[in-house]
Amino acid sequence: MSELSVDRRDLEGIVLLYPRGFVNAHTVRLFEGEIQRAMDDRRYRIVVSGSGLKYIASAGLGALMGTIEEIRANGGDIRLADLNETVRNIFEILGFNHLYRIFPSEVEAVLSFREGGETGSPRA
Amino acid sequence: MSERTPVPPTLVLRVPSRTEFLALVRDVTRRMAELAGFDRPQAEQLSLAVDEAATNVIEHAYAGASNRAFEVLYEDRGSDLRIEVVDEGARVDPESVPKVDLRRYASERRTGGLGVHLMGKIMDSVTFHRTGRRNVCRMVKRKPGATGEARP
Repeated sequence: MSELSVDRRDLEGIVLLYPRGFVNAHTVRLFEGEIQRAMDDRRYRIVVSGSGLKYIASAGLGALMGTIEEIRANGGDIRLADLNETVRNIFEILGFNHLYRIFPSEVEAVLSFREGGETGSPRA
Repeated sequence: MSERTPVPPTLVLRVPSRTEFLALVRDVTRRMAELAGFDRPQAEQLSLAVDEAATNVIEHAYAGASNRAFEVLYEDRGSDLRIEVVDEGARVDPESVPKVDLRRYASERRTGGLGVHLMGKIMDSVTFHRTGRRNVCRMVKRKPGATGEARP
C-alpha cells in the first residue's frame, strides 16, 4: 500500500515538491528524504506544493522544522502552497503559519522567491 | 426481570504496533466521528489526534517494537465521543513531555511533544493514566451543539 509519493520539479533554482497522500510516522522518511536531497543538491529554495497532500501529522511537521534553520542559514526557505483545509487547519492550530510562509497557490510561492527572495519566517 | 441500562455504542479495535496500520486507525476514526455527528473537517482532526496517540504508543510505550498490539476504544456517549488508546508498554509520564515552543524547536531541531500538543488543541479533554500494566490515553470531544464541560 503506497500512502505517499513525492514528485520533484526543479524550476530556475527552486525545488518544487509535490507530496501526494499522507505524511505520518509511517511515511515521513520519504518526505524528509526529499527535503534532504534538495539540501544535498544545495537547493535551499523549496516550495512544498500541497494540492495532493491529504493529511500531515506531527511527524511531517517535525521534518519541516528539523530542516528549516539550516535552509534559512543558507539563504533559502521552505514555503508552502495550495494546502487543503485540513492541512491548513493543522498548521494554524500549531502556529506554523507564524513560522512558515503559506501561499494560496504554487505560482505565488514561486514568485515570492523571485521578488527579492527574502528569507525567514513571516512578519507579524 | 430487571431493566437493563442502555449500553452506549462502543467499538474496540485491536491494532498491531506497526506504523503501516496508522492509516487504518485514521480511517476508522474518521468514520466513527462522522457517525457520531461530526462534520468532515472535525472528523479529520479527530483522526489526527488518534494518529498522534497511536504513534506515541508505537514509538514510546513500545519503543518501536512491531510485535505488540494496542487497542482503540470508541464510545459514543450522546453528547460527546470518547476515544481511548490503550497499550501495555512502558509507563509513560505525560509530565515529561516538553512544552512546545516552535521557534526554539526550529533552532534546536527538536520535534518532541508536538503530537501531544496537537491532541490537546484538537480534543476538549486529554488525560493519561495507568491502570495495572496498561497506559490509557483518554480523549473526549464534545459533539457540535453540546453544552457544558467535557467529561473525562
